[in-house]
Amino acid sequence: MKDENKQNVLSDEEVRKLVLARLSVLSSDSIISLGSEGSFSRDELVELVEKRDAIGEKLAEIQMEWLRSFKSVQAA
Amino acid sequence: MKLIVTRPEHDVTTRYISAWAGEVITFAQQRGVEVVDLIRNKASRRELEGRIKKLFPKLVFLNGHGSADSVAGHDNEVLIKAEENHDLLEGKIVYALSCDSGKKLGQAVAEKKRAAYIGYADEFIFVADRNFLSKPLEDPNARPFMEASNQVMISILKRHDARESSTRSKNIFESHRRRLLSSQADPDSLQAAQFLWWNMRNQVCLGNVSDKI
Repeated sequence: MKDENKQNVLSDEEVRKLVLARLSVLSSDSIISLGSEGSFSRDELVELVEKRDAIGEKLAEIQMEWLRSFKSVQAA
Repeated sequence: MKLIVTRPEHDVTTRYISAWAGEVITFAQQRGVEVVDLIRNKASRRELEGRIKKLFPKLVFLNGHGSADSVAGHDNEVLIKAEENHDLLEGKIVYALSCDSGKKLGQAVAEKKRAAYIGYADEFIFVADRNFLSKPLEDPNARPFMEASNQVMISILKRHDARESSTRSKNIFESHRRRLLSSQADPDSLQAAQFLWWNMRNQVCLGNVSDKI
């Protein structure tokens, strides 16, 4: 049972890799406005995620919540 | 009926939301609403406080950067802050297109007996295309985000109550999210769908939610 739970939880590093994978395939014309944090190009965001900057951590949080939302839909 | 709109324009984000707020202003004017448009350096604390005290508008539409307890105007001057001047919003229907202000400012305003506050309890995120930075209204990447956001004010102006207006806005977020996920999903569409979901999830409607014009 413990092993099953462990397999279902993504590590921070795995989430970061998922975020990087999503960002790296965006169009180079895309700009993402993250409110008061500013507006960023694809390459700027990739760099921030790789540096583990607070903005990168925010994107990882969003990615994690997004994945959880699918899990909760499946469970419902 | 009076509507006050703040529209700072000092960076990419504020230029976009200001341009799209213009659509709401046009719609309001077509319906006979008197609009006070505090644009660029008029989106200041002094102007906003003075106009609210003088005109007693029923509707306030705040566009700008925010924090948990405040919404800012031009050059990020704080316009409304919890425990400083949020009393000004008593009795009004407020929509703040602004990050985070649903957390504390919205709660503080909602504690006022007759105020409704629609805002976001976390970052409001949108996608734009660098080729449209000088013409935000034509930017196809930004359109789904701004249409969904504007639906709050459009619905209020159509005399729906605050809760129904928020629900209608969330429905637009959701319909765009589904469309982007199902449209042979290119990477940009998938990322946009995620951010639409995020905004929808974090939009809050607080206080006197049955209030309407």
